[in-house]
Amino acid sequence: MDHAVKQPLLEVNKLSAFFRAGRGEVQVTRDVSFTMAPGEMVGLVGESGCGKTVTGLALMGLLPPASSRLEGKILLQGQDLIAMPPSAKRRLRGRRISMIFQEPMSALDPVFTIGHQISETLRAHQDVSRAEARNRAIEALARVGIPEPTLRYDAYPHQLSGGMRQRAMIAIALVCEPQLLIADEPTTALDVTVQAQIVDVLGELCTRMGMAMLFITHDLGLVSQTCSRLVTMYAGEVVEEGRVDDILLRPRHPYSSGLLRSLPALTQRKARLPAIPGRVPVRGDMPPGCRFQPRCAHAQPPCTAPQPLRAVQPQGEVRCCRAEELILPGVLPVERAA
Amino acid sequence: MTAQQPLVATRDLGVHFRLSRNTVLKAVDRVSFDVLPGETFGIIGESGSGKTTLGRALVCLEAPSAGQVLHQGRDPYALSRRQLRQHRRNYQVVFQDPNAALDPRMTILRSVREPLDVAATMPRAQRDEVAMQAMERVGLSPDFAARYPHELSGGQKQRVCIARVLTLRPSVIVCDEAVAALDVSIQADILNLLADLQREFGLTYIFITHNLGVVGHISDRVAVMYLGRLVEMGETEAVLARPLHPYTDALLSAEPVALPSHMRTSQRVILSGELPSPVSPPSGCRFRTRCRFAQDLCAAKEPEWSEVEPGHWAACHFAGTLPVTSSPVHGVAEVVA
Ligand SMILES: Nc1ncnc2c1ncn2[C@@H]1O[C@H](COP(=O)(O)OP(=O)(O)O)[C@@H](O)[C@H]1O
Ligand SMILES: Nc1ncnc2c1ncn2[C@@H]1O[C@H](COP(=O)(O)OP(=O)(O)O)[C@@H](O)[C@H]1O
Ligand code: SF4
Ligand code: SF4
Ligand SMILES: [Mg+2]
Ligand SMILES: [Mg+2]
Repeated sequence: MDHAVKQPLLEVNKLSAFFRAGRGEVQVTRDVSFTMAPGEMVGLVGESGCGKTVTGLALMGLLPPASSRLEGKILLQGQDLIAMPPSAKRRLRGRRISMIFQEPMSALDPVFTIGHQISETLRAHQDVSRAEARNRAIEALARVGIPEPTLRYDAYPHQLSGGMRQRAMIAIALVCEPQLLIADEPTTALDVTVQAQIVDVLGELCTRMGMAMLFITHDLGLVSQTCSRLVTMYAGEVVEEGRVDDILLRPRHPYSSGLLRSLPALTQRKARLPAIPGRVPVRGDMPPGCRFQPRCAHAQPPCTAPQPLRAVQPQGEVRCCRAEELILPGVLPVERAA
Repeated sequence: MTAQQPLVATRDLGVHFRLSRNTVLKAVDRVSFDVLPGETFGIIGESGSGKTTLGRALVCLEAPSAGQVLHQGRDPYALSRRQLRQHRRNYQVVFQDPNAALDPRMTILRSVREPLDVAATMPRAQRDEVAMQAMERVGLSPDFAARYPHELSGGQKQRVCIARVLTLRPSVIVCDEAVAALDVSIQADILNLLADLQREFGLTYIFITHNLGVVGHISDRVAVMYLGRLVEMGETEAVLARPLHPYTDALLSAEPVALPSHMRTSQRVILSGELPSPVSPPSGCRFRTRCRFAQDLCAAKEPEWSEVEPGHWAACHFAGTLPVTSSPVHGVAEVVA
């Protein structure tokens, strides 16, 4: 509720992404819609191949223009990013929206020192002197928890550990204090101990700078620790949106429930884990109607009709015609969640 | 427990890599433990702590530089070469990345059959039959036989890798991050399969993972490794619910658990810094550079590996007296019950 009162920072409206394939094209995401308030932390989850990264790259304007196409609207404070000319979009990137990735080497340039890369990012967007850029870069390194930032300013990416590289990438992404950070599995390759450090740094920076974050991950534990709202994607579509605490206790979509129930920590030791049978459908083999239907234990005849994403009471949105009648388990058994 | 002969054991095992003339990296350093028949023994620790090297040493893919690996009480390296080859079939590994284990140009049937082809102890028709049975057992229908790895999902490829090792009828399987690359729903499937196979074939697993939820779910006992050494070992419930070593405590506390905000109780211990270089580990207790309880004694003297409670071992000068605070990773199911 509270996010609806503020004017949204980001409004994604029926966003679809297409890639060229041979003579035709394939659609990889369909009608993705969600909003983010300023300073809000939103988790984007789903199995691999569901379209999370494509959605993040679309928001950043980083999908290859020659081989991809977007439909729908991406409004950043009311301004349509899809309709915007490429030069204006470039100016926006890094300054108002930034993105970090699972593999920091893809975002770091191996031939420049990390300090140089941070200063240059800053100078590309702001009119600051070299000396000031250097100072701000050192500050940024300190903020992300890199020890001895003055010394590390001159380090090359390959001289850093995986965790330190991840911090350096975050420093670059955040040096211009963007309004929105898209974090695509930023800790998936790291140990839990280092993950905890990075997530802490991200959370603290978001709070301090009032920055919003779209946290893309397959780890529901991590979402519950960092985000207040959750968007679940399945086979290229958003299937559920709502408050994290609500969804953990009472998911409204069978897929969200299935993802939560398959976490091993939630099942008695050694007992059978409730897995979701089958796999994410591939393109060309999309079931008509509800895309989750072949794997859904609750499927009924009406599910073969196309399912719109619709608001449910008391809040949230679900793409399932049975959302009201189903009582689905989340992290607790149904009786305990009541 | 002591009455049973361990199926796999190590005695002061060391695996050392010589990096240059005067630097030696002790990836595994003076490690001793027993794995009992039919047990699932979990090994956890940050990357670089030596888990993979230890796992490889357990199945004779890495020769000990010091100490011993024992299989049913016997030193496999005392066997003749021929006997060793035969013997090794009993000790198999499944790795994290099925792509690295499968030849993209081989059909699935050939990949599954390959270990039997190498062993060359059965006629071809029988090898095909055993391979098809193994595929069926892991839930791959016969029409997968003629397919190629690129046509399969990650979970299906991992099933192929499991079928492959099953053809040899091993008694021990080391699973080195075998479910780490899979989505949770698929991971659950594979963990169920491994549990079924264990019951059916009386398998013993050594389960290496960095995922505490996974290790807590499937292991009977767990060992915690830090910079080549064991720092804690015991029954899974005991280690996860009442850790004795500050490192175990920090690992548990870092694990994100899916719980709504009002149900999170434990305060988190965020471990500072990263794993020090294993080439020159800190003096005394190796964990002391990151330990919030470190004292002068910890730098001066290496803590002993001692049985603090029955069956629950730790290497910390102050084990059992520290106010460790664990989080309920091992089973929200139990904690909220
Ligand atoms: N450049 C591309 N060309 C064609 N298809 C692509 C491209 N990038 C991604 N896809 C497809 O889009 C779908 C969604 O991928 P992705 O967004 O990476 O999923 P996720 O991040 O959720 O794992 C996948 O089926 C993937 O194969
Ligand atoms: N063949 C090798 N040569 C030299 N060093 C190695 C070799 N294999 C592993 N190491 C080193 O041994 C240590 C332990 O590695 P590993 O067993 O892979 O740990 P883990 O599986 O816990 O991540 C690391 O520092 C690694 O770099
Ligand atoms: S619409 Fe039907 S098939 Fe789809 S998730 Fe809902 S109940 Fe399951
Ligand atoms: S011996 Fe000292 S440094 Fe090592 S874990 Fe125990 S308290 Fe910490
Ligand atoms: Mg992705
Ligand atoms: Mg390893």
